[in-house]
Amino acid sequence: MINENTMELLLSSFPKILEYGLKVTLPLAAIAFILSTVLAVIVAMIQYAKVPILKQICRFYIWIIRGTPLLVQLMVAFYGLPLFGISINPFLMAVIVFTINEGAYSAETMRAAMEAVPAGQMEAGYCVGMGYMQIIWHVILPQAFRTAFPSLFNALISMVKDTSLASSITVVEMFTRTKQIAGQSYNYLPLYIEVAVVYLLFCTILTYLQKRGENFLGSYGVRK
Amino acid sequence: MGLLEVTNVHKSFGDTQVLKGINLKVDKGQVVSVLGPSGSGKTTLLRCINFLETADEGYLNFDGNSYHLPKASKKNIADIRKETGFVFQNYNLFANKTVLKNVTLGLTSARKIPAKEAEKKAYDTLKKVGMLEHMDKYPSQLSGGQQQRVAIARALATDPKILYFDEPTSALDPQLTAEVLDVMRDLAKDGMTMIVVTHEMSFAREVSSHIVFMADGVIVEEGTPTEFFENPKNSITRDFLRLTSVE
Ligand SMILES: Nc1ncnc2c1ncn2[C@@H]1O[C@H](COP(=O)(O)OP(=O)(O)OP(=O)(O)O)[C@@H](O)[C@H]1O
Ligand SMILES: [Mg+2]
Repeated sequence: MINENTMELLLSSFPKILEYGLKVTLPLAAIAFILSTVLAVIVAMIQYAKVPILKQICRFYIWIIRGTPLLVQLMVAFYGLPLFGISINPFLMAVIVFTINEGAYSAETMRAAMEAVPAGQMEAGYCVGMGYMQIIWHVILPQAFRTAFPSLFNALISMVKDTSLASSITVVEMFTRTKQIAGQSYNYLPLYIEVAVVYLLFCTILTYLQKRGENFLGSYGVRK
Repeated sequence: MGLLEVTNVHKSFGDTQVLKGINLKVDKGQVVSVLGPSGSGKTTLLRCINFLETADEGYLNFDGNSYHLPKASKKNIADIRKETGFVFQNYNLFANKTVLKNVTLGLTSARKIPAKEAEKKAYDTLKKVGMLEHMDKYPSQLSGGQQQRVAIARALATDPKILYFDEPTSALDPQLTAEVLDVMRDLAKDGMTMIVVTHEMSFAREVSSHIVFMADGVIVEEGTPTEFFENPKNSITRDFLRLTSVE
């Protein structure tokens, strides 16, 4: 099945596929993940602190985002934003949609992790004279982050693969690039297997990083 | 004039009345032990005094200022808490901070004391409780008695005018209990003002200047340790003492 031509195609396409992985797929996932984590912490804090009105807005946001497919969200942004005179490049749009999408899921992860911190930690903070935000910042968030870390990292790994959906809003990422090459060569299967291997490679590296991260955070001494 | 005086403290949880009009006065340098059966409201009383629970009624007079317990402002509460220390039954050390950071955090973050100065203060108090050599460990790496001693150091570091203890040794075995009680004895000797909720009868007897006995949300008897232990007037007190001496 693997003849010389296929072998040559695989070898010549590999750098091109990898290039788009490193130039588009990974940056898209990484930037959106970082921004979504920031968003998630803010949304989680609002809910944890039970801020009136803002809390309802957060619940509404999470309800909408978790109740609709990512692909639909991408399309709505793609066709909807121009109606408001907003024209941004597809990559940036993908970053925004992925951030908002992942933010909703991670917010729930973070909120649950914050609520899992024993109430005594907050009380101990009050009793040494600390204020609410000081306790959140120095005590609650670090512990919640340690609890949430594996789930958050899971989400990152999912996102690396979900970036292929960005092709629907004309972002040429790793999978789209592979499709282009495959279309030129009429030799689809080997290239799709090849791109699958590259995704697998990325996710393997991330899994390794997750382990390192957990060990690092584990040195908090929080009981394992 | 007492350092701390609470009057007519009431607190209910739902339909259950837990505190039914508590009056308590503590002078500077006094050690007041609060005794009483489980569920009598001892913890709730301490928590109301330090605003961890909001009392339904009652006044707190602290260091010359008077506060209506249910209505105290955030600012008042914060100011009072900066002058008081609380030691919990289950320690409540900050799980993500080392022993040293546990002690300094209240100084650096809440009082904006420079890190170097805060550390110097922490060395002093950790030394006092015999935990200086463990300062780089995390709470999960310490025994219960060690954790409780760090919790005491953390409370001491803020130079409180009064320390509240809620059954500080009830989660500890006898040997670790002795470690912690020794530290508390030293504090009493140094003139620290304390309210101690405890089931440690011999400690209460030796160390306290005043004993308060609570049952079912009221103070049924109080007095000096000698009066209280040798000549209890109330029948509930006598039953309680008989049961605890059997243990
Ligand atoms: N947050 C709460 N919600 C509802 N009921 C509570 C709450 N905290 C305490 N109680 C009730 O109030 C009563 C007094 O509790 P408290 O913890 O003050 O007793 P205690 O004297 O400290 O007892 P122990 O010696 O067992 O520690 C108990 O009946 C308890 O069930
Ligand atoms: Mg109690």
